[in-house]
Amino acid sequence: MSTAPSTTERSSKSQNHKQDAGQSQYRIGEMSCLTGLTADTLRYYEKIHLLRPVSRSASGIRAYDDHDLSRLRFIQRAKAMNFSLEEIARLLEMREDPQHARDEVRELTHRKLDEVEGHMKELETLRKELTLLLNLCRSTEAGCPIIEDLDRS
Amino acid sequence: MTIKVEVFASPSCGQCGRVIDLLRQLAKEMSADRIDWREVNVVDEFDYAVELGVLATPAIAIDGRLRFTGLPSINALRTEFERYLTAEPGTNSA
Repeated sequence: MSTAPSTTERSSKSQNHKQDAGQSQYRIGEMSCLTGLTADTLRYYEKIHLLRPVSRSASGIRAYDDHDLSRLRFIQRAKAMNFSLEEIARLLEMREDPQHARDEVRELTHRKLDEVEGHMKELETLRKELTLLLNLCRSTEAGCPIIEDLDRS
Repeated sequence: MTIKVEVFASPSCGQCGRVIDLLRQLAKEMSADRIDWREVNVVDEFDYAVELGVLATPAIAIDGRLRFTGLPSINALRTEFERYLTAEPGTNSA
């Protein structure tokens, strides 16, 4: 029987990241697993300064920490809202030091907040529409005539 | 004073006919000119139904506000109609 570790075991081992003064440390492969971003993307974000310079071990291996993870998750959320990388860089600037943010960055943050709230309203309407559709279908036994009617209209 | 009552119904809805019967009965009992009611087919007026917050049928809106979802008792319906009919204009925002 093979003694190779299962995928689950490998995944579990990858979670055994180092602890440094209360901060977890992650290698690039681990960070890739945690975020779903490729190693190339992680290196690119560092290169364009979306991430601060990542610390390295004596052998040059990148060691990401929880702060990097938090920034990366923010970047992913902002990208999901179609914010540009340039906008995200400025929002991260605000995130690092909100009290001393430049007026221009503050205004951008306001605009982006408006965009997010508009998006939430759209999502809320869509949630209601889907709920109503499902409830209308629930009472029918054969097929879903309501959706068929909507398709025709 | 007249209140505007809308019953949101759909072709597959088992209880919608019963709600409409209740409305007919109450409109007759409370005088038809005080209750201006109509049936709204959610398939035809889907956006309007969603705008009012209708998530299932039957549902009843009074003066443009969703007040009941499901089949209410005739007493609950009568009480709500009376509340609207006796309220000062603009005070039934709850």
